Amino acid sequence: MAQKPNRGDLKLFNRDTFPISTFLILFFICLVLMGSDFRYQILKKIRLEIPLIIAPINNLINLPVNLFRESKDIFVTKELLKEKITLMEKTIYYLSIRVQENQLLKSENNILRNTLKIQKNFNISGDTAEIILPEVRNGHSIITINKGSKNNIQAGSAVINNKGLVGQIVNTSDSYSEIRPITSKSYAVPAIMDNAKQNVILYGNGNGELVIPLFPASNSIKINDIFVTSGVDTLYPKGIRIGKVTEIMPTKSPKFNHILVKPFSQPTTFSYITVLETKND
Amino acid sequence: MTSPTKIPQIQAQKLFIILFIISLILSHIGIVGIEDSSIMPNYFIALIVSFILAKRARLDLFKLVIIGLIVDIFTGQLIGQYGLIFIIVYILNFSVNKILVIKYQKQIESLSIFLILFSFIILWLTSQSYNIFITPKILLLQSIFTFIAYLFFKVIINKFIAR
Repeated sequence: MAQKPNRGDLKLFNRDTFPISTFLILFFICLVLMGSDFRYQILKKIRLEIPLIIAPINNLINLPVNLFRESKDIFVTKELLKEKITLMEKTIYYLSIRVQENQLLKSENNILRNTLKIQKNFNISGDTAEIILPEVRNGHSIITINKGSKNNIQAGSAVINNKGLVGQIVNTSDSYSEIRPITSKSYAVPAIMDNAKQNVILYGNGNGELVIPLFPASNSIKINDIFVTSGVDTLYPKGIRIGKVTEIMPTKSPKFNHILVKPFSQPTTFSYITVLETKND
Repeated sequence: MTSPTKIPQIQAQKLFIILFIISLILSHIGIVGIEDSSIMPNYFIALIVSFILAKRARLDLFKLVIIGLIVDIFTGQLIGQYGLIFIIVYILNFSVNKILVIKYQKQIESLSIFLILFSFIILWLTSQSYNIFITPKILLLQSIFTFIAYLFFKVIINKFIAR
C-alpha cells in the first residue's frame, strides 16, 4: 500500500506568520527581569530561599564519590588504621612544638605592638570545610563546600587555605555554600606587594590567573614579586598571600604595563579550606 | 485515545525533559583535560538549538522563555538572560527559514553554527563580568565544544524520535 508522505517534510516555504508582537513583548519582559535581578538580586534570594533547587543536583553529582568513599572505608584494615594513628601522633607532636614557637612569637609581637602603640588587632577565626562538586556551573568556575548557613557560614566571607586566598562566599544554603574563586572574571581584591610599596587591585581573568590591567610603568615591579591582601576593604584581613608575578607585558600606552599574577592557591575538589570570620576593631 | 500524529510529539517532549536533566547535570561537571571553565560547552544552548532545528518538540516563544527562566534559576547569572537568548535563537531560525529554503544537512549545520555563535554573543553582551572584551580564541573554542554537544544531542534526537 502506498504510504502518504509526511506533509511537514515536503513543506518548501515557511508560511507561518511572523510572531513579532509576542517576540517583542517577551523580549521586553526578559529585559525587565534582567534589570530587576541586577538591581534587587532576585536570583540570589530565590536560591537562598529555596535550597531544594540546588541540593538534589549537588547530592546527585557527589553520589559516586560519596559511595566510593563509604565503600572504601568498609575495607580499611586494622593495620592500616594503626599506621595512620602512628603518623597522626607524630604530626600532633610536631605541631605542638610549632604551637609553642607561635605562642612565643605572638607574645613578643604583642609586646612590640604595645611598645609601638599599634592598635589594630587581627581577630581572625574561621571554620574548616571540604570542597565538593560542582567545580563549574555552565561555563563559570565555582567552588562548592559542604557547609552552609547551618554552620554559620555567611555570604561575603573570605575563604583561605594553607597556601593563600581562595575566594569569597557568594551563596549559602542550609548545607552548601558557593565560593567565587579569586581567578573568576567577576572577582577583584585590593592587594599590596609584600614589600608594602604598591597598592593595587587584582582582577580574576577567568583563566586561572589574576591581572592588573593597567600598572604604571614608572613603578618598579619584577617577576616573582609577591602580592598579599592589603586589608583596605575591611573584608579580607591584611597579609593573606594571593600570588606572584609571572608576566609583565607592555600595553598600547607606554605609560602602563599589563601584569599577570599566578595565585598561590588553586584548590582542587575534595581538599580543605577555611571560611574566615573576620572581626574588625 | 492519543492520535498517531501526537505520539512523536509526546516522545519528543519526554526526550527533551530527559536531555534537559542530563544537560543540567553535565553543566555542573567539568571535562577532564579542560581546566579553563570559560571554554566549557554550553549544553543548554546546544540542546535548544538542536530541538529548534529538528522542529520536534514544538517549542514556541512562551515555552522557550519558561525554559530559559528554569535554566537561569539553576545555573544562570541573571533571571531572563537565557530566556532572551532562546527567543532570539528561535526568531533568527524563523527568519532564516522565511528567507531561505533550509533542507540539506550542510545548510542545517551551518545554521546551527551561526545560531550558537549568536547565542554566545548575546550571553557575552548580557554577562555581569567586568571584562568588556571577549577573546576570539575563547569564543571559537567554546562554540566548537558547544557544536560538538549539539551534534551529540542531534544524534540522540534522530535516534529516539521517529520522523
